[in-house]
Amino acid sequence: MSEDKAPKSPTRREFFRKAGLGAGALAGAVAMGDAVASNEAKAAEAAPKSQGYRETDHVKRVYELARF
Amino acid sequence: MGHSHCTTVQGWKDRGAIPVKQHVHVLEAAQRLGIPLTREDLLDEVAPRPPEEMWRAQCYMLLARLLAAPPDDALLAMIRELGDDDTEFGQALHGLVAVARQANSRTVREEYHDLFIGVGRGELLPYASYYLTGFLHEKPLAVLRGDMQKLGIAAKEGVAEPEDHIGALCEMMAGLITGAFGEPASLDVQRSFFETHIGSWAPRFFQDLEAAQRATFYMPVGRLGRIFMSIEMEAFALAA
Repeated sequence: MSEDKAPKSPTRREFFRKAGLGAGALAGAVAMGDAVASNEAKAAEAAPKSQGYRETDHVKRVYELARF
Repeated sequence: MGHSHCTTVQGWKDRGAIPVKQHVHVLEAAQRLGIPLTREDLLDEVAPRPPEEMWRAQCYMLLARLLAAPPDDALLAMIRELGDDDTEFGQALHGLVAVARQANSRTVREEYHDLFIGVGRGELLPYASYYLTGFLHEKPLAVLRGDMQKLGIAAKEGVAEPEDHIGALCEMMAGLITGAFGEPASLDVQRSFFETHIGSWAPRFFQDLEAAQRATFYMPVGRLGRIFMSIEMEAFALAA
């Protein structure tokens, strides 16, 4: 899966900015790394678990077959 | 590294970034050559995503963190500092900030329990299978598992809960956007995933959350989610 090749969207950025996402409201607010680390710490609680996704073994095998 | 990779490495130099899915090979090669190199060293080399895509990913992660588990004190403290503006989204965020200022992690944990866990079941069942068929562990979950396999997403081991939970799905969307599962997914792939697993039911769930009897802190979470879903759907339609 490569980078999206759609027309580089000033339109898309403008749309989201106008919708309020870019107003600095979330800027720096939720670091991905922090989110995963925090969720992993909660793994023992009763809440449904959604954290810690990783490459499947199937995908790893595909990469291994393609190696040097 | 063999001859066949000269082109690839040159390509990485040219673009100034090493694709995430190559990291395991680079790390293994470094290990064989005795070069100290860690995954953290490589993360700086991942091509950055455009800001609008990071905004989306941050929204999904915020929702994921709030829905997968009740927020701890650290997350509440962070939410209290969020800014807002006079857009519908900004106002929903303002509402969340306001309740975060009134709440503490204990009261929110109790509310979360009543809403989602309860005795036997909570007030709400935030699962795609439930909203789409009336039952848990249904075809939507099977379809999701198939797509997760294709996309290289694996559920964490030892987890009892089905993966079609709204918190899990939000985390998957964030990962597709940022490239956490290998490389950032194209908009077409994102749209397909969204429409199949989220757009078909999550707006209704967020509406239900907003209206839920036991929702105080989670009422603005529902509102924020509902508005964000609309934004996502409109954006996907624009990019079609």
